[in-house]
Amino acid sequence: MSPDIEPANHDRTRRRDSDTATSVESVISNLSRARAAKYAAIVGAGALVAGCAENAPQDTFQPDGTNAQKIDDLARPVFYIAGLVGVIVLGVVAWVVFRYRDRGQPIPEQTHGKPALEIALTILPALILIGVAIPTVGTIMALNETDDTECVVNVTGQQWWWEFDYPVQDGCMPGGITEPIVTSGQMVIPADTNVLIRGTSRDVIHSFWIPRLNGKRDMVPGRVHNLRMQANEPGIYAGQCAEFCGLSHANMRMEVVALTDDGFAEWVENQLADYTSPEEDTLAAEGEASFIANCSRCHQVDGLEDDTGNPIVARPDLQVYSGAAPNLTNLMTRNTFAGATWDLLRDECRDDVWDADSDVFTDRYLEGVSGDCLNEVDLREWLRNSPAKKPMYADPENLEETDGLYRGMPYLALSEDQIDQLLAYLLERK
Amino acid sequence: MFTTGSKFLIGASVVALLATVIYGVGQDGVLGTVGLASATIGLICLTVLNFILGDSNVFADDEAPVETTAAAQYAPTGSVWPLGFAFGAVVVAVGLVSYQPIVVIGLVALIATGAEWTVQAWAERASRDGVHNAAVRSRLSNSLEYPIGATIAAGIIIYAFSRVMLWLSKTNTVVAFAVLAAVVLAVGFIIANRPSLKTGAIGGVMTVGVIAVVAAGAVTGVDGERDIPEFETTSIWQEEAILHPEEYAEGAAEGKHPAELICESPEEFPEADEKASETVANKSGTYQVLLNESGTLDFDVPGPKEAGAVGMVIPRSNATNVIFRNNSDEDRRLSLDLGTQTVEIEEGGETEEVEARHQICTTLIEPGGAQLLTVKAGEPSFAYDGEENPNGPDGADGFWFFVPGVESATLEVIVP
Repeated sequence: MSPDIEPANHDRTRRRDSDTATSVESVISNLSRARAAKYAAIVGAGALVAGCAENAPQDTFQPDGTNAQKIDDLARPVFYIAGLVGVIVLGVVAWVVFRYRDRGQPIPEQTHGKPALEIALTILPALILIGVAIPTVGTIMALNETDDTECVVNVTGQQWWWEFDYPVQDGCMPGGITEPIVTSGQMVIPADTNVLIRGTSRDVIHSFWIPRLNGKRDMVPGRVHNLRMQANEPGIYAGQCAEFCGLSHANMRMEVVALTDDGFAEWVENQLADYTSPEEDTLAAEGEASFIANCSRCHQVDGLEDDTGNPIVARPDLQVYSGAAPNLTNLMTRNTFAGATWDLLRDECRDDVWDADSDVFTDRYLEGVSGDCLNEVDLREWLRNSPAKKPMYADPENLEETDGLYRGMPYLALSEDQIDQLLAYLLERK
Repeated sequence: MFTTGSKFLIGASVVALLATVIYGVGQDGVLGTVGLASATIGLICLTVLNFILGDSNVFADDEAPVETTAAAQYAPTGSVWPLGFAFGAVVVAVGLVSYQPIVVIGLVALIATGAEWTVQAWAERASRDGVHNAAVRSRLSNSLEYPIGATIAAGIIIYAFSRVMLWLSKTNTVVAFAVLAAVVLAVGFIIANRPSLKTGAIGGVMTVGVIAVVAAGAVTGVDGERDIPEFETTSIWQEEAILHPEEYAEGAAEGKHPAELICESPEEFPEADEKASETVANKSGTYQVLLNESGTLDFDVPGPKEAGAVGMVIPRSNATNVIFRNNSDEDRRLSLDLGTQTVEIEEGGETEEVEARHQICTTLIEPGGAQLLTVKAGEPSFAYDGEENPNGPDGADGFWFFVPGVESATLEVIVP
């Protein structure tokens, strides 16, 4: 052994050089403890305050649907068990760190191997995991149950909004749906009904997630994915695209609106009602002309006809990358627009709908948007310059990658008069 | 005071810098400017390195340093790098008069051997101790030699193995891969269970294995890949019929293909209808259209179908994958008629717009076979309200799946 090398560790001892050094370390230690206690108090208070939020519409811990309840029933016990294990482990670690901290004592004799302990520490976590796995697998299978479907809605994601189309079917309501319905932003369903989402995407991978009704499901282009949507009671349930999908991913929201059976039937009847043109010589009539000139290339309004009486068929596939734009036939029956990012209702009117009790919610929702309640500010800003309001790839000089197609709504250079006209026209789309 | 070596490096750097500026300003060639700039940067780096190390600061009239400096003490060992450097120069010369890729290979050899030579020469001036000098060299060079060498070796092995896989038939590739995996597993098992095996023996086995793979790759690479057939697609036949109707009719008259549009024909078209079932890759999460033995079409979707569905609803402007399954007794294709489309036909320098049926279809599928069809409808069904679709049931408008030769096989496609 080289004389320069220290003796073996277990023989090594360390001692403080002087009382002065000890007192300095003691002061530092006390300061550190005080600081650590302060930080711990701040973090603890923050966690406590965060748990007190009342307005949390996307809280997964407030299930309002059968499947969400199944997830909650699984997640809570697992969370409690994992939390208990975590507390025990952290507690033991903290105790060991404190109890055996370096105080200059000799390092104890090092041993290797403790078969009984090692086997126990292998079997115990395995048993815990098996205990978690059994209900987890059962829940996963239960969540994928679709045989009892009562209503089907096709859901298609694109940058950065959701489209919902209701195929012709016998389900959803007595008498079924007799003509296809296309809407966006808000998916309306009958409450306490097993609705099946048949989802896909037009451009990139999106993920449909209404936390209070079910887990999330990716929507992949070229594939079809199923997801159960069921709400126990009438109400409005907020969601958010849960897969990063580009510039305005954070602005790709959606809501599921659950109505009573009668309310849903009324909603369907209204969606399938014939188109009514605005009265002649009104601002809305001018808005119709402006809509045809500026908006109808992308946005479909069912029943809208040109001067020769031919139906106007929007061709968003020739204008936008996703090939689709929201159908605006019944825009003012919804509460939101532009990917459900902004409200069509002013705050007080919005609160009347969102905060309504389940027994009056349906009636409030079916009132739609009236002139008094219209959130003109955001809608005007949107019409004035939509790319300035919502980040989109809508710069006409940078469309090489998409062969000249926009992603999102472009700037239309509308005059204030045109915006007035369009507002008047859209307000009648109920 | 600057030594001769320092002056040379400084001068070379200045000349290279001037050349870069003059060439860059006077010529349009970006590549030449980049090359000269790279040379300038390299020379400046060498100059700076030279100043930092100071190894060349030995002066003929300075007796003491001459006696004590490390540079005056070493005895250079033999080196293979000059040979490699010369080889690289020859390869560059050969490449200049033959093929450009050879120049690149020569340049790579020049740079690699030149760098190794430089490092070795620098390391041998570190001390009078040859072992220490070798360690100095290794410390600098091995950090690059090992990863780069391993990458190149792995690349050669993978490339050679891929040649073998492409040479074998599709079936035999599976067998070969399984056998190779089993051999690797067995060798690994033996090595793990016999820790007393000599390193040389393990290395020998590995070397033999690598040589075998590389040799097999070289032989099969020279022999070429297996015959991978390429087929015409149905859309090409469809476009040909619409865009060049006269040539298409001539081809039909000569018996090269049937006279009808491929999507409306129950007959086989050359090449387009071979081995189509083998191309189905996406087998789940899609719609399915089934041709039943009774001659009717039915559809299926992942999960339950909507009760009372009158047709298959697909989103507008969306690439929807549909698997066609032929459960009938005869070869059949599935076609979709999406109304009309406007097509521009160029003839004699002039462009003419004509209306043509908008159709897509699978190739002819054998009984029990399947093929994927990707459907995308830009227009909604209601755009054709009141306009009869000739491939749908009598008097029906909208979009229709149909099977040429089976009149009863129709299925409405609804695009909302």
